[in-house]
Amino acid sequence: MKMDEKKEMKNDKDRLICRCEEITLGEIEQAIDEGCTTLNEVKRRTRAGMGLCQSRTCSKQIARIIAQKTGKPLSEIMPVTSRPPARPVKIDVFRTGESNEESN
Amino acid sequence: MKRVIEHPVLGRLEDAKEVKISVDGKEMTAREGEMIAAALFANGKNVFRYTNKRHEPRGVYCGIGRCTDCVMIVNGVPNVRTCVTPVEAGMVIETQQGIGHWGEEGSGDRGGEDGTH
Repeated sequence: MKMDEKKEMKNDKDRLICRCEEITLGEIEQAIDEGCTTLNEVKRRTRAGMGLCQSRTCSKQIARIIAQKTGKPLSEIMPVTSRPPARPVKIDVFRTGESNEESN
Repeated sequence: MKRVIEHPVLGRLEDAKEVKISVDGKEMTAREGEMIAAALFANGKNVFRYTNKRHEPRGVYCGIGRCTDCVMIVNGVPNVRTCVTPVEAGMVIETQQGIGHWGEEGSGDRGGEDGTH
C-alpha cells in the first residue's frame, strides 16, 4: 500500500483541474508558486477557466488550491470576473433577440 | 438497448415515439425528446468527443449542462451540449475532435446571412 500511495501522490500533479482547457493541478500550483494569488491571475497565466464552461466547473477547486497554498482564508479568495451571459447562448441570440432552443 | 425500464423512484418508462438519428454516419434508434446523451448511452456509445490538447476521450461528466464535457457536432453545429439537447427525428450527430468544426448545416449560423437556424 505504501508504494501505491507514493504513486498516487506523483500522479496527483497530472490530475485535471480545468477540464475544458485541460490544465493540471501541477500547472496551477506552478502558477501560484510563480506569484499568482488570485483566481484571475491563475486564469490569465494558465488559461484555467477560459474554456467552454467558463470556469463553472473548476473555479471553486482552484480557489481552494490557492487558499491551501497561500494560507489565505477561502472567504478572501475573490471569484473570477463574471461577465454575461450567465448561461451559454448562441451569438445569434444577441443578433435576433430570440432563440429556437430551450435556454438551458 | 441499455435503458432503465423500471426505475425505483421515477417509475416505469413511459412510451415514446421512436425516431432515427444518424451518429457518425451510423443509424441509431432514439426516443423522441430524450436527451441526445441518453440516446447514445442506450445505443452503447459513451465517447462523445476527443479533447483538444491531449486527444483524450470524453463523455458525460456533470450531465446537467454546466461542464460542457459532452459536447458534439449536432446538425453541423459544434460544441452542442448533448446532455441538455433533446433528440429530434433525423438529427445528424458527429463525434467532435478538439474544438470542433462547422458543418454544412451549421454554416448558416456562422455566417448569419439567411437569418435562419
